[in-house]
Amino acid sequence: MTTLDGIRLVARRELTERTRERSFLISTVVTLVILCGFIVIPKVFFSDRTTTWDVGLVGAGSAPLGRPLETQAPLVGARVRVHRSADVAAAEAALRDGDLDLAIVDGRQLLAESDPDDQLVALVQAASRLARAQTALAEARLSERQIADALAPPPLPVRTLEASDPERRANRAIAFPAVLLLYGQLIGYGYTVAVGVVEEKATRVVEVLLSTIRPVQLLAGKIIGIGLVGLVQLLIIGGIGLAVAVGIDAIDLPPGAFATLGMVLLWFLLGYAFYSVLFAVAGAVVSRQEEVQNTSTPMSLVLVASFLAAISALSNPDGPIATVSSYLPPTAPLVMPVRVAAGAASGWEIVVSVLLTLAAIAVLVPLSARLYSGAVLRSGARVKLSSAWSASRG
Amino acid sequence: MLELKGLTRRYGDVVTLDDVSFSVGEGQMFGFVGPNGAGKTTAMRIVLGVLEPNAGEVLWRGRPMDNQARRQAGYMPEERGLYPKMRVRAQLEYLAELHGLDRSAARQSAGHWIDRMGLSERAGDRVEALSLGNQQRVQLAAALVHDPVMLVLDEPFSGLDPVGVDVLAGVLKDKAAAGTPVIFSSHQLDLVERLCEAVAIINKGRLVASGTVAELRSAGRRRRWEVSVAGADAGWAAHLSGARVLDQAAGDANGRILLELDDGTDEQAILDAARRAGRVTYFASSQPTLADLFRQAVQP
Repeated sequence: MTTLDGIRLVARRELTERTRERSFLISTVVTLVILCGFIVIPKVFFSDRTTTWDVGLVGAGSAPLGRPLETQAPLVGARVRVHRSADVAAAEAALRDGDLDLAIVDGRQLLAESDPDDQLVALVQAASRLARAQTALAEARLSERQIADALAPPPLPVRTLEASDPERRANRAIAFPAVLLLYGQLIGYGYTVAVGVVEEKATRVVEVLLSTIRPVQLLAGKIIGIGLVGLVQLLIIGGIGLAVAVGIDAIDLPPGAFATLGMVLLWFLLGYAFYSVLFAVAGAVVSRQEEVQNTSTPMSLVLVASFLAAISALSNPDGPIATVSSYLPPTAPLVMPVRVAAGAASGWEIVVSVLLTLAAIAVLVPLSARLYSGAVLRSGARVKLSSAWSASRG
Repeated sequence: MLELKGLTRRYGDVVTLDDVSFSVGEGQMFGFVGPNGAGKTTAMRIVLGVLEPNAGEVLWRGRPMDNQARRQAGYMPEERGLYPKMRVRAQLEYLAELHGLDRSAARQSAGHWIDRMGLSERAGDRVEALSLGNQQRVQLAAALVHDPVMLVLDEPFSGLDPVGVDVLAGVLKDKAAAGTPVIFSSHQLDLVERLCEAVAIINKGRLVASGTVAELRSAGRRRRWEVSVAGADAGWAAHLSGARVLDQAAGDANGRILLELDDGTDEQAILDAARRAGRVTYFASSQPTLADLFRQAVQP
């Protein structure tokens, strides 16, 4: 039996036993429910809330403005409802009652309660300017056709330097649930590794196992097996989550959606490799399940901090915190995917960040393997890292 | 043959095993005894490669025991080692594969040992759902499932009921008869004495005696005889020449006393002396039990 056979057997056991556990099904469903909540709730409560303005028209001079206001409002993402007011006094009363947002008096004056909405004022001004220009041009005896050409020239085409807003919005809409999922998987499966290691210690299975395979094989098989469980769960949740999001039209699937998901998978693998070996050491130095929580605290805290950095990167992907933390190996797995989704990270930045994380993993793996080997057979009191280090010959 | 040569293991300043050497022949049933904390478990762990010795080596068939040889050994650790949540059959198949069996051989062997241990009805249950005795049987099956060429069992009999003891003893005898060296530790010295051809006694990390039970009995010991004499004076044996009374027999309910004979003394002369003192109702050679040897060996 080769080294790889041993690793494969251990990994296969982790994968088959853990996916058969009821807890796997439960955690999958719970995560899905939470995730779908994040997708569905904004859709139900916050979408389609276009601003509606009520505008009162007083006098014949205001009448021609009604239609242009109604047709132009959607250009600024709003809607205008036009009301006829009998006279200025009625309009003032309606403004005070909040029934009107703005009144136009005879096409010559705008009336508001206090600070009128800037966008609304700009909209009305534009409509009024158009109407007055139309009148002036008609008085100068221009033909209908000439007036139309002068006042409604074809709009200027817009060329954007970066992805258009709706696309970015959609990418960010994916980024939040994605980073939440990533955080959950990293902390959840990292902790699973720690608990799995201490379970083998507490039940002394580790002695039986290590009489036939070496500690490094057991460690590698365990980490790979549990990682595969996490990956399978990630694929299930990601797939269903995306299907739900598209199904209820919460997200217009932007072209970058699959790239974002690919990033999530890549960073799950990198982040898991980084953290799982540390969690394994946290499990190896103690002998009882209750103690794992204490020794895992440093990793959990760093993961929470990374998550907070990722949340701040959602709103400010180019800020110094987001930029620096997207290069640091402990925080990069959660922050970099956000910056990528927000379109704030260029290709070389991603490559550098991946390489830095890989380098950190390359340092951590042999280090952790040695500590694990030196500690995993010592039961009783918590094993000091220094004595685990010297007890093991690597 | 399995040979332990000069095994030494230290934890910091504490020496748990100090230059321990003995050997176990093929097909030999070997008992490993000693007080708690004597170093038995440490020695067994070193044999299985679970621990590294600070000095010394383990030889199997004349060559250093490597991973290949260890994989063919069956090991039962003192505090047991099974995944509580794993099902019996899956667990045995997994361990068989880890020891190098292919999948179908592992399946077949797991089935065989499940039957042999009387676990057929529990094969699909999680280990944690089994009674302690049944868990112990699974543990033994786990040590045997890959048809090991040597068996190293740490306290295999502890916690078993008499029926379980018989099943286990039967299995171990079969393995030994098939040529497998079987080494096990136990505090049940009567059991060790009944089953084992040879024993090693270890105390405070040092080997204090080893060899066949017969060798240990005769080594450095004078012959002992037990005598009962009806109607004799209490002190009739006090001044026998060539023999002396051992304390531990004094106060025996049957009035039986234990005599230790000097090397040149003829036991018939002692019998004559006893008959002169009264009516001899009992006169027999006394064999020390393993427990006697053990106490003698570990007492300062």
